[in-house]
Amino acid sequence: MLRIVVGIKWVPNTTSVNIDPKTGTLIREGIPSVVNPHDLEAVEMALRLRDEYGGRVTAITMSPPSARAGLEHVLGMGVDDAVLVSDRAFAGADTLATSYVLAKVIERLGYDLIVFGQETIDSSTAHVGAQVASWLDIPYVYYVTHARLEGGRLIVRRSLENVRETYELELPALISVAMHTLHPRRVRLSHKLRAKLESPIETWTNRELGLEPDCIGLKGSPTALSKIEMIPKVPRKNEIFRGDPREAAKWLVDKLIEEGLLEV
Amino acid sequence: MKEVGYKFDVIVVGAGPAGSAAAYTLAKKGFKVLLVERGRVPGSKNVFGGRVYADPVGEVFDGLDGAPIHRWVTRERISLVSGGEMSSFEFRGSKRTSFTTYLTELAGWMARKVEEAGGVVLTEITVDGLVVEGGRVTGIRVGDERLTSDVVIDAEGINRLLLERAGLVPKLSVRHTGLGVKEVIKLQRDRLEDLFGLEGDEGMAWLMLGDVTDGLPGGAFLYTNRDSVSLGLVIALGDAVKEVGRHVSRYVEALRLHPLLRRYLRDGRIMEYSAHLVPEYTWPDLPHLLYTDGLLVAGDAAGLLLNLGYNFRGVDFAAYSGYLAARAVERAHEMGGMTSENLAIYRDLLEESFVLRQLRKFRRAPRMRENRRLYGAYPGLVNAIMDQLFNSPYETPKVMEALRRAREGRIGWLEMVRDLLEMVRSV
Ligand SMILES: Cc1cc2nc3c(=O)[nH]c(=O)nc-3n(C[C@H](O)[C@H](O)[C@H](O)COP(=O)(O)OP(=O)(O)OC[C@H]3O[C@@H](n4cnc5c(N)ncnc54)[C@H](O)[C@@H]3O)c2cc1C
Ligand SMILES: Cc1cc2nc3c(=O)[nH]c(=O)nc-3n(C[C@H](O)[C@H](O)[C@H](O)COP(=O)(O)OP(=O)(O)OC[C@H]3O[C@@H](n4cnc5c(N)ncnc54)[C@H](O)[C@@H]3O)c2cc1C
Repeated sequence: MLRIVVGIKWVPNTTSVNIDPKTGTLIREGIPSVVNPHDLEAVEMALRLRDEYGGRVTAITMSPPSARAGLEHVLGMGVDDAVLVSDRAFAGADTLATSYVLAKVIERLGYDLIVFGQETIDSSTAHVGAQVASWLDIPYVYYVTHARLEGGRLIVRRSLENVRETYELELPALISVAMHTLHPRRVRLSHKLRAKLESPIETWTNRELGLEPDCIGLKGSPTALSKIEMIPKVPRKNEIFRGDPREAAKWLVDKLIEEGLLEV
Repeated sequence: MKEVGYKFDVIVVGAGPAGSAAAYTLAKKGFKVLLVERGRVPGSKNVFGGRVYADPVGEVFDGLDGAPIHRWVTRERISLVSGGEMSSFEFRGSKRTSFTTYLTELAGWMARKVEEAGGVVLTEITVDGLVVEGGRVTGIRVGDERLTSDVVIDAEGINRLLLERAGLVPKLSVRHTGLGVKEVIKLQRDRLEDLFGLEGDEGMAWLMLGDVTDGLPGGAFLYTNRDSVSLGLVIALGDAVKEVGRHVSRYVEALRLHPLLRRYLRDGRIMEYSAHLVPEYTWPDLPHLLYTDGLLVAGDAAGLLLNLGYNFRGVDFAAYSGYLAARAVERAHEMGGMTSENLAIYRDLLEESFVLRQLRKFRRAPRMRENRRLYGAYPGLVNAIMDQLFNSPYETPKVMEALRRAREGRIGWLEMVRDLLEMVRSV
């Protein structure tokens, strides 16, 4: 039986994340969260593999408890069960500490294949996949567009600008799914009902995991963010011409010449 | 179609005020209830102006503890606008009868009450159809799956596609609908209180008639929330649909930039824009459906909403009708099943309640509101009178004299008397 673990992150639902200009930290308040959209593609790939070859898909997230709604969403898509990894002790983690906890969780779950998203929309480091693979010492391929099983090996493809690469991986392995390649399926009534009625979500704290305090949370996070700078908005003149389109065209051309953007 | 392996006593479609009220009432009584909502969270698909009458909602939900009450409406302002002029009438009351809120928050609160009472709330699920077998509604269809229940309560809102698809009601016509458009504009809390003369949790409901809708039948509204205002308008589509020359969003924009309003909103930040249909003609003018074998219809979906032009009673009417639908289910259960005969008690309960009594009483209101003079001639007339009374330094006219002069070229006496009579009879 193929045991697939898929990692999802619960992120603020916005592409333009607000940063507190004073403290340089992310302002998360008031913004409803969603499952990182690229992770839904990872879920889709995991589900397709399971549907094709049989097995079991477990979703995991390290998050505050509100991420339960995100786990319910992917359970609604058809994921078999889920683990919410949540403990104040994990707060303030950088990618290293995050990946350490995730690796330990995955180890505890048992796995043949781990599927992650390409990156998150709120931090976009794309570190976590590589780091988890390193902790577990397993092969890792990033930017995967296709995956299938053949003779117990995973055949994955990645499409780069003008080449297509194919890899054969020994399992267990970790792959990150290239974004915008798969269309995540809709949630199904029966799956959503199961998510509500049979509580397939377990919550693990550090009591279950028993990880060294020095390796988790703020303490286990060596990354120091030295500075965050806001990129100032380019000032726009916002001139609007109203009236006849012919005149508007002429006005526009004159303006562009005036600004030295057009040469005659 | 695949049968889903769970069974519920009751499936409620739509987690608006009607659906949540029904689900809450039944869950509390021990029925196995499923509430299905297509939005990501309950309330995410709702749009409304914003004021809610507290008592009916409190009665249905056993109090308003924890409800997202922004401000209690203690000031009612009605303004007639023509050109750059406006005459206002303001009532400053002392009672706390209705409050402003965001329906998104209120619907969230209601759905939480459902869960607390033991109901199951499923979001992100769009019901595609009612399952009808031998003339009896036996469940819902979602994609290629079906789920069975003893009874379905349809609380899908004004655009009642499920009922249309099942052939149970005719298509909604534009004649019967209005269009509501709204912006939420954030203001500093103390600035807002200064601007509108509010203290503490006092709030204002402000209704405007006249030029604010370009003379189209309808009205504009402004409600003060905690630290924002809901600004919008409702336009009756009816005949006007041909005249709606601009994209509807432009109408709210024009409203926000209106010389008489922009002074309030200058420092505001637009948080949200939304548009939604509003039933203009409601029960009993429309061929609405209240119940059939295995089905009850509540809230906007049944046309149970009162639009008086100067006041909008949707949320409390919807919640109360959902509550009565739940009580009908309870009674039908005692009587042995969800047949049409047993569920007919729903109609009796509605008839006895303020819901249908009020709708009957005001059944002429929609027709009255079609009178275009309410939006053009009369605001102009009133402002012209006020102008003469206050802006005549030497020859102040008597009121009747001012009226006569203002009337000329605007409206005939006979028309005026007829309109007045109609108004008295309607509202
Ligand atoms: C100094 C520092 C301090 C930080 N402090 C905080 C903090 O206090 N609070 C906070 O929320 N963040 C904090 N972060 C951010 C946090 O470390 C990262 O958001 C997190 O490690 C994931 O990185 P990423 O978003 O770039 O994921 P990527 O590496 O871009 O993600 C790749 C894939 O990994 C998987 N994945 C990523 N994160 C998770 C997860 N949590 N659970 C399951 N799967 C996952 C997903 O499949 C995702 O698509 C901090 C970062 C730094 C550098
Ligand atoms: C601009 C505007 C201003 C208003 N102002 C006021 C006011 O000030 N005061 C007041 O009391 N009322 C007001 N109303 C009216 C009020 O909003 C409605 O009467 C009230 O929300 C009706 O409640 P309901 O539960 O019947 O329907 P809705 O609130 O419309 O809820 C229906 C729910 O069903 C869901 N749904 C629909 N179809 C499906 C499906 N197929 N599957 C799953 N879910 C589905 C929808 O997503 C929605 O959540 C206003 C309305 C508008 C448009």
